[in-house]
Formats: sequence, structure tokens, C-alpha cells
Amino acid sequence: MATSLSSILFKGISARSFTTPLTSSCYYGMRYFTTVSNDPDTHNDFKPANKLENSNISLADVIEQDVKDNPVMVYMKGVPDFPQCGFSSLAVRVLQQYDVPLSARNILEDPELKSAVKAFSNWPTFPQIFIKGEFVGGSDIILNMHQTGELKEKLKDIMSKK
Amino acid sequence: MGVTKEQVESSLKAKLNPSHLEVVDTSGGCGASFVVEIVSEQFEGKRLLERHRMVNAALEEEMKQIHALSIKKTVTPEQWKQQQESNQSNAAA
Repeated sequence: MATSLSSILFKGISARSFTTPLTSSCYYGMRYFTTVSNDPDTHNDFKPANKLENSNISLADVIEQDVKDNPVMVYMKGVPDFPQCGFSSLAVRVLQQYDVPLSARNILEDPELKSAVKAFSNWPTFPQIFIKGEFVGGSDIILNMHQTGELKEKLKDIMSKK
Repeated sequence: MGVTKEQVESSLKAKLNPSHLEVVDTSGGCGASFVVEIVSEQFEGKRLLERHRMVNAALEEEMKQIHALSIKKTVTPEQWKQQQESNQSNAAA
């Protein structure tokens, strides 16, 4: 197979090179390379899988489950012990003032989760805080609720009793 | 290629008709992050979350390019007046 191909290729070049300048014969020769089919690199297994299309529904389910199972759920940049954005850091620090279990997901690790969360809450920025299944808002809102005492009221029944 | 302070201001003015508006570019003129303070009658009877949603909606186009938007204040003219007065009395004390 390889020998027959190369002989065609060389024939092509030599046949053309007598009548046309060498530069255009390069193009002529290339035709034989590009027509080689069933290249092992094009196997279906190596094609990019469209994860987004198939998993978007299940991602919304994941979020729904997250906010249902975790009384305080934060979608943030970084993790609570190492926030990677000032606003996420602020939200975590506010929530840590209260004795409540804090669950979080790092949306920087998963761009698909990031867009799914945005769509879920219809909110454009991070962090996003959910308390008892309800979307509360971002860092400005959580700070405001902390200052007005509204947050304490909201978290009262999930604060661990000591 | 961010958004200018003027663009943010004009969108907010057009959609929320504020009686007081302050927009600060906190990204050193890059147009990547802003802090806004808005006083508008349209916030009347709305919860904080709804007020923030109104601001986000007003800046929907701009948000595609803005990296961070901090909404410091969304108050009604009534609340604004009260806050101004209490600030003044604090300063006087």
C-alpha cells in the first residue's frame, strides 16, 4: 500500500515537473496525501465528546440535590479554606461567623457546573449562596443580611445548639 | 476591552431612573469591575434580592464583559434620606 502510494506520488511530481514550475507540483503531490482515508487518528474513540449537551440536565439535578441536602450551600471560586476570589472569601467569612455546616463547590474546577449554576439561579456572578434550598444571593447580599441581623434569623434553626 | 463607567451609568439611568447614582470603576479604568450605589423609587416594596436582580438585568449586556460587580446600595429615596440623616448626626456627635 505504502509503496504504491509513493509511486503514484512520485509519478505525479515527475510528470508535472516537466511542464510546470516545481512550486505548483508540490500542491499536486499533496493531493495524494490528503486523500489517504481511515487515518488511525480519526477513530471515533478520540473524537471530543460533547459532555455539555448530554449532561446539562443532570447538572441541574446535581444542583437541586446540593441545595436540598445542604442547609448552607455555596458555589464559589476556590474552596472555603482557600477562596480564589475576594467576593467568595467575603461570603465564606461571613457565613463562618455562624455555627452552621458549610457546603461548597468550586466552580473554577468545572466550567459546565459554573454555567449550570448561573442558569439555575438566574444570577450572573459568584459566589452564590443557597440557604435551606432557597437562593439567597451573592456576597453583597449576604454581607447586608449579616449586618441587618436577617442572616442570624435565617440560620437560627440550623445553628448547632451548644 | 471592558465597559466604561459611562456605559454602566447610562444603562442604569435608562432602566432604573435613579435619583442618585454612583458608579466607581474599581479595576483602575480597565472596565472589569465596578461598585455601584443606586437610589431609585423602583426599589420600593422589593426585597434586596429582587433589587439586585433588577440591577443585574439592567446591566445584562455589560455583565458579559464585566468581571465583578459589587452592588453596595440599592435603596429607595426614603431609605436614602434616612441614611443620609443618620450619617450626618453620627458625624456631628
